[in-house]
Amino acid sequence: MFIGTEKLTHTYMPGTPFSTEALQDVSFNFQKGEFALILGPSGSGKSTLIQHLNGLLRPTSGQVIFDGAIVGSNKRELLHLRRRIGLVFQIPEEQFFSESVYDEVAFAPRNLGLDEKVVAERVEEALQKVGMQVNTVKSWHPFRLSAGQKRLVAIAAVLSLKPEVLIFDEPSVGLDPAGKKNIFNLLKDLNQKDGLTIIISTHHLDEAAVLADRVLVLKQGRLVMFGSADYIFAQRKRLNELGLALPQVTEIMHSLVEKGLPVSTEVYTLEQAKSEIKNIKRRN
Amino acid sequence: MAGYSAIIVEAKNVDYYYPGEGENASPALSGVNLTVQQGEYVALIGPNGSGKTTLLKLFNALLTPTNGEVLVRGIPTTNEETLPEVRRTCGMIFQNPDNQLVATTVEEDIAFGLENLAISSAEIKRKVKETACLLGLERLLCQPPHLLSGGEKQRVAIAGILVMEPKCILMDEPTAMLDPAGCREVIETVRELNHRQNITVIHVTHFPEEAANADRVIVLNQGQLITSGPPEDILADIPMLHSLRLQGTAAVELAALLRKDGYPLPLKILHKRELVDSLCSLERKS
Repeated sequence: MFIGTEKLTHTYMPGTPFSTEALQDVSFNFQKGEFALILGPSGSGKSTLIQHLNGLLRPTSGQVIFDGAIVGSNKRELLHLRRRIGLVFQIPEEQFFSESVYDEVAFAPRNLGLDEKVVAERVEEALQKVGMQVNTVKSWHPFRLSAGQKRLVAIAAVLSLKPEVLIFDEPSVGLDPAGKKNIFNLLKDLNQKDGLTIIISTHHLDEAAVLADRVLVLKQGRLVMFGSADYIFAQRKRLNELGLALPQVTEIMHSLVEKGLPVSTEVYTLEQAKSEIKNIKRRN
Repeated sequence: MAGYSAIIVEAKNVDYYYPGEGENASPALSGVNLTVQQGEYVALIGPNGSGKTTLLKLFNALLTPTNGEVLVRGIPTTNEETLPEVRRTCGMIFQNPDNQLVATTVEEDIAFGLENLAISSAEIKRKVKETACLLGLERLLCQPPHLLSGGEKQRVAIAGILVMEPKCILMDEPTAMLDPAGCREVIETVRELNHRQNITVIHVTHFPEEAANADRVIVLNQGQLITSGPPEDILADIPMLHSLRLQGTAAVELAALLRKDGYPLPLKILHKRELVDSLCSLERKS
């Protein structure tokens, strides 16, 4: 186990009339270098779960485990943990507060007390990873950026900590199709080229499905499905019952199968769909 | 007001510059002319930064045009005295519901708008309950909004607008934060309000599948209205969409890829069903 939980339970506002059990007995583990998805309908506990993974929330009972150790409550240890596990919130650019792109990305490494020269290296590297040249954008005001660029800078601001794990809460919310594609290409590179473990909480599988190694599904705070991406995505009916939907292109393949055409439904991209459809002739 | 005009909102030669951006700033909107009829369902698409949200805010008088005129049921949005009427006519649903939830319980939040009108509390309670039931929120009426999930919050925001019985609902990417079931529920609810009560809907979206269900699709780019027409024309125009870095529905995109490889698919494919039927009849022939 690289990162995961054991019998994790979290209750919001315990002992009050508003007491809500957000997570109940959740146990799972992800391996180092995996691209993992956390799925579930609204209110199923996804955001609560990912906030436990870098110690922002503390379990009511049960444990969070990272790299062979139980995540404790010691403040120093938690700070160290948050350096290794980066968390990117939904619409992270709403948290911008600096006057320049450079200062925004430099905030976290400066907070580590690093030498300004090292900070500069970190900023340059982080911006480069998201496809930006530090000399071009460093003095720009963050609000001058397009929505897609803002999101990239927000991710760079976390990358500057050089985390081993990156956790995202709905990474592409509100972006146009081109912006979405950009973000997922970046996540793919971070995972496949740089070896980062990526964990994404999402409702929208159109871009994420093809990248996923393993998938965890939550419903009303309980883990209801856990397994390889192909295994989970094959259970279309169950996912639909949970209020989840496969990628549009996968749905097209399912409809073709229902009409008797011999195509695979393990298809998550347009290109895969095209070659599956072109294969029909050869099979007949 | 009946018969006054079938036009619900109208933009006439509208330019909009955000203040404080300097003289050389490019306009957020420029030369926009648009009329929307009572009862129409209009989808507004375009890349990030193309002016979609700005246009919605002009229709709700949150912004007023730098040049030109915006009329809501014939009333200019610049007129202070008629602002409440304009804003009741066109209710706004924001992308992030946190920006429009104000009260300590869901029930109070939905009631917030009504409480500013001279309506008895029994009547308010009844209307709130009715709207909550319509959106599946009856279980949550006593909950504080900040403890709800994103999807639930958005439905509360929609309830807060619906309860005011607007003529037109302006929606800024209302499903961006919802799960697929929540999306469907919101879209179906709004579609039903549009059909049954003839409520006009202007819906900003990045999801081509949502735009495909509108009566009309309007495309904005860099503050200008590029084109407008029925979804089967606009959303099947892959060269235009791709030139603006936009996408068609999955069915449109896949059909275009297959056509390139010699599949004689009809040009008017928009929805999954049409693509599947066309492919099946092609395979049967071969």
